[in-house]
Amino acid sequence: MSDTLLEVRNLHVEFGDTVAVRDVSFSVARGETHCLVGESGCGKSVSSLAVMNLLARGGRRSAERLAFDGQDLPALPERRMAQLRGDRMAMIFQEPMTSLNPAYTIGSQMAEVYTRHRGGSRRAALDRAAGLLAKVGITAPGMRLGQFPHQLSGGLRQRVMIAMALMCDPELLIADEPTTALDVTVQAQILRLLAELQRDLGLAILLITHDLGVVARIAHRVSVMYAGQVVESGPTAALFADPSHPYTRGLLDCVPVPGKVRRDEPLGSIPGMVPRIRPGFQGCGFRDRCAHAAPVCAGEVPRQHGAGAHEFLCRLPPGWTAREQAA
Amino acid sequence: MSAAATLAPISVATTTPAIEVRNLRRTFHVGGGLLGQDREVVAVDDVSFALPTGGVLGVVGESGCGKSTLARVILGLLPPTAGEVLVEGQRLSALDRRARARLIQPVFQDPFSSLNPRRRIRDIVAMPLVAQGDVPARQVRDRVQEMLARVGLSAEQGERFPAQLSGGQRQRVAIARALVLRPRIVICDEPTSALDVSVQAQILNLLAELRRELDLTLLFISHNLAVVEHVASEVAVMYLGRVVERREAEALFREPRHPYTKALLASVLTPEPGLGVPDVGLGDTLPDPANIPPGCRFHPRCPVAEPRCATETPKSVDGAECLLLEGSGRP
Repeated sequence: MSDTLLEVRNLHVEFGDTVAVRDVSFSVARGETHCLVGESGCGKSVSSLAVMNLLARGGRRSAERLAFDGQDLPALPERRMAQLRGDRMAMIFQEPMTSLNPAYTIGSQMAEVYTRHRGGSRRAALDRAAGLLAKVGITAPGMRLGQFPHQLSGGLRQRVMIAMALMCDPELLIADEPTTALDVTVQAQILRLLAELQRDLGLAILLITHDLGVVARIAHRVSVMYAGQVVESGPTAALFADPSHPYTRGLLDCVPVPGKVRRDEPLGSIPGMVPRIRPGFQGCGFRDRCAHAAPVCAGEVPRQHGAGAHEFLCRLPPGWTAREQAA
Repeated sequence: MSAAATLAPISVATTTPAIEVRNLRRTFHVGGGLLGQDREVVAVDDVSFALPTGGVLGVVGESGCGKSTLARVILGLLPPTAGEVLVEGQRLSALDRRARARLIQPVFQDPFSSLNPRRRIRDIVAMPLVAQGDVPARQVRDRVQEMLARVGLSAEQGERFPAQLSGGQRQRVAIARALVLRPRIVICDEPTSALDVSVQAQILNLLAELRRELDLTLLFISHNLAVVEHVASEVAVMYLGRVVERREAEALFREPRHPYTKALLASVLTPEPGLGVPDVGLGDTLPDPANIPPGCRFHPRCPVAEPRCATETPKSVDGAECLLLEGSGRP
């Protein structure tokens, strides 16, 4: 897939004297799902907010390139950026209860998105809203339009958020932990829905998650983030076939997998804690927790190229995992 | 048939079970709004089980299935509407708060809200001992030091406040507080759900070690089936207040019987690429504890329901309550 819709090259974000994101590069093609995966504080949400120019006060972003459909985003005035948001690029967040306005009905919130960006009558907007609610699998959409967010279950609210994000036919959907607050059964339904919508509408999806299970099942491409950096990236199958950054490997060992867990055997875990990265920090952010760390890890860390477009940031060469297993 | 008979202990316990729950029921009254009717919500409906000492019962189910209410009733934080809880053979209702605290202790989900932000860690951990009223101050100090060290916290960290610790460290504090009285039973309600996976693994490993060393009995509530499979010796699957399947953990995960258990297991997304997201077949009807369907309560969502499921109430067959298991065999 080469039809790049979103391109991020060497993104850097700082808050005060903390570096939240450093040298992050990724791209999302039309019809593709790209997952940013990592633990709290790794910079995955900040990266997506930086793309939308929605960083919290005090956040400073810089990037070699930040482009949506060829348009240079930092060069756009905020008015033009606001036009793009919610229109050609839309977002859904983790907790639909906090991102829906409790004082307005579902219908009026959905219609507002449309009339604001596209104009037209409220009636037409409501018709479109009803159609989209049906599309995301909500029964009796006409009745739902008149309901308030608190009258819906968590799964329904998340469907409403998705329908609302689709009001203006976005080309890029940024979904930040869209299923984390939901039951596993509902999570499966919502993820199937996203995959279906992608097929039907050719959506590009940037999905932010901490859940490697979600990543494995729906991503085309993955970027694993740690301490503000993309430490490993590549096509999903290649990355899971040979996870090569010690952090990625550690993270996978921590996840109990049904049918493969042994009771009374400890899970893998990563000792220590995520460091705070300050300006001027050099080298690998994982070195203090890494079993393979060496003095060179405090210097410039090379980017290693594995099979296909699989890359990782480490002193260890591609294929080290296989050699280690053989030894 | 009574539920106590249908859900008899799985292992043949020769001694008194650590926890025994008999026909437990807990309801809540919910106001229906301005003009609405007062409604009764059945959170726990006729639940019976016995858990032997040293066992780990994993309780799983979707939000609203009653698993947290069950935990609160067993902890004595909520009185049951009907039925009773026995802890090491003693009626929970006959024990005073101090005696209860010596037997059974909780670890909750959110280590941010379950620790008093204005107290030092050592004082938080000491609280259960101090509340007993008869433990000498020096002994309190020693036990707290010992417990902090045991959960992997330093004496220096004991001087800090909760806000100065990470989520994983706070959950270690909650575990230290729960164990400082050397209870026999610990009720863990989603103890790792608020944590990152790498920290979750540390906490699960710590709990497993402590359980073995101290011969603890655990009730482990989680929505994460993989976590439950890792820690539990037996599993209870709850749906709308009832335990619809309860069996030995290894057997349940290998060969689930109840269609709901099957759907839950099928929903788990393992980190295996290429498998896609499964169609669980539960449909869009969501369970409403204020409006429990007649017959089998799972029938509106069940992918294999038959007409009789809407009218007949299932009995437990080999640990699973499903009409299709009665008589002919498998659903």
